[in-house]
Amino acid sequence: MKANWKLFTGLSIFYVIMAVIYYYVGGEAVGITGMILASCLAGMVGFYLWFTQKRIGVAIPSDNLDAEIADDAGELGFYSPHSWWPLPVALSATAMGLGLIIGWWLTLISLGSLVISIIGMVTEYEKPVSLSSH
Amino acid sequence: MTTFAERPTIAAPRQGVQKTSLGSQFVKTITSTDHKRIGFLYLATSFAWFLIGGFLALLLRIELARPGMQFFSNEQYNQIFTMHGTIMLLMFATPLFVGFANVIMPLQIGAADVAFPRLNMLSYWLYFFGSIEATIGFLTPGGAASFGWTAYAPLANSTYSPGIGGDLWVMGLAISGLGTILGGVNFITTIFTMRAPGMTMFRMSIFSWNVLLTSILVLLAFPPLAAALLGLESDRLFGTHLFDPANGGAMLWQHLFWFFGHPEVYILALPFFGIATEILPVFSRKPIFGYKGLIAATIAISALSVAVWAHHLFATGKVLLPFFSFMTFLIGVPTGVKFFNWIGTMWRGHVTFETPMLWVMGFLVTFLFGGLTGIILASPPLDFAVSASYFVVAHFHYVLFGTVVFAMFAGFYFWWPKFTGRMLNERLGKIHFWTLFFGFHTTFLIQHWLGIKGFPRRYADYLASDGFTGMNMISTVGSFLLALSMVPFFINVWITRKSPLVGVDDPWGYGSSLEWATSCPPPRHNFTSMPRIRSERPAFDLHHPHIKTEGH
Repeated sequence: MKANWKLFTGLSIFYVIMAVIYYYVGGEAVGITGMILASCLAGMVGFYLWFTQKRIGVAIPSDNLDAEIADDAGELGFYSPHSWWPLPVALSATAMGLGLIIGWWLTLISLGSLVISIIGMVTEYEKPVSLSSH
Repeated sequence: MTTFAERPTIAAPRQGVQKTSLGSQFVKTITSTDHKRIGFLYLATSFAWFLIGGFLALLLRIELARPGMQFFSNEQYNQIFTMHGTIMLLMFATPLFVGFANVIMPLQIGAADVAFPRLNMLSYWLYFFGSIEATIGFLTPGGAASFGWTAYAPLANSTYSPGIGGDLWVMGLAISGLGTILGGVNFITTIFTMRAPGMTMFRMSIFSWNVLLTSILVLLAFPPLAAALLGLESDRLFGTHLFDPANGGAMLWQHLFWFFGHPEVYILALPFFGIATEILPVFSRKPIFGYKGLIAATIAISALSVAVWAHHLFATGKVLLPFFSFMTFLIGVPTGVKFFNWIGTMWRGHVTFETPMLWVMGFLVTFLFGGLTGIILASPPLDFAVSASYFVVAHFHYVLFGTVVFAMFAGFYFWWPKFTGRMLNERLGKIHFWTLFFGFHTTFLIQHWLGIKGFPRRYADYLASDGFTGMNMISTVGSFLLALSMVPFFINVWITRKSPLVGVDDPWGYGSSLEWATSCPPPRHNFTSMPRIRSERPAFDLHHPHIKTEGH
């Protein structure tokens, strides 16, 4: 993970330097704002990666030069086999954009279906917590 | 300690499950969460948009072939070039990157899928519906958007461009851009968290590195576009004055748009540089020359690309010419480093010219030419002379067509066995290449001189006395040759649809990265067994264990 946070933090620092240079040579406000925001974005990701690496502590097998494939053995994670939910989410989002143009009635309808479909997508694999397991 | 984690082999193929009806295939596709299937959807959809955008380009060329207005009104011509630009950049080239990255990148890093499979499908649907929404304006009474793909203020506001077509364009692009941002998040997370054991960052293939840096650029570039588009829509619908020229809105739009627009050029270029970098070592029988140098060059390009946007604004007279000119020259340096490495990879190698390599050669030649005219345009005195002329049109077609289309076909021919399990026909591939190559250069080389002689871009007409007729005619003939070059490709895809399966993991024989260590096409979660990863060429190490690769 070391290369990851260094990459983002490096980009963040570079953008700040560019913003400062641009300010001193007489740059306009939009560019300075844009570069500072770009720096904040890169810095935020960099900080999160650095923070996560600190919390994990040990090197993950992906970063180990001498790792064996078997080091990652076991459950890889959960992969959704197929899902209907992305389709209604995207359709509602598009209809909402369309609603701004052709009428508020469509925006309101699609806002409803967007909220429902987002809840559907997020909770698709959520199971109610069974009391016995705790 | 084991090198391989073998899965139990299933002796008899499951006949009943594989026989599926068209309807169930359809449902399987639209509900898929498999990164390869979603990648194919992206590739097929963006290729369809490529054909639509190409058709619009032919309409522009037949109108320009002779002086006088033969086919369209000025307004229709404006709609066609606006949608040609929008389609080619945001509905063809950008999703094409997402398509290649989706299919190939998880295979190259040894992952079972992308990090967020359902988000991946959501990105696709947002792109699919957003693109249709942006283009559907052609069917409205006022026609599609006609203010150019750059949508400069105040031309794009509701006074100068009334009609629903412009609104649909803005909202469609905002929706589609949201899909692109989600795709970028997905790729970055996948690369950071799902690499196989031993696949350290500095053993990753150059293509995967370029996907990572392209995704970072997507995160930096697309939010400003979304902000600018929603601001424009708010001006158009609610009468706000964000981009009102009275308070500097015209310049504000240009700054915001190109703060997106210039990184966008690198979003279109970097992944296709990556494809070329994957193909060159395979057909040169050599490892990549300067692996870390290439990565450093890509990082430098991504870093510098946020500081060059205003070279699109030289002619406004309101930007810092020395700063942006210098930064633009500076970004030429890492691009030159890449060329150095590509030539170094071929240098003294056993170069063979199978179709993918031929396409990469076409890419190198075409993109080099576009890069050279880019250096010319980076110099403000020269830029003032040819700004908004056909010289600029020729320049960006060399850059974008050179990278995106040549490298796309290189990637298709190279990875077709990985996609489908079948090789494409070499002879038809070569016919395809040479007709496209000559068609492209006939169309666009002449446009440099057309621009220098003074033909402005986006004009629907010119006078016979201007002396542009001959050159425009040549360009139009070239464009039809270019369009015809698609025919051998389709014949190729059709006749090889039932050709024998390659049956091996690496049909080219010298594949380096991990996708050549799994079957063609790969199984649902990509690998049944994985080799130990000790260098940036794990598949080459597996198939040619007697040759030791210098590990990083």
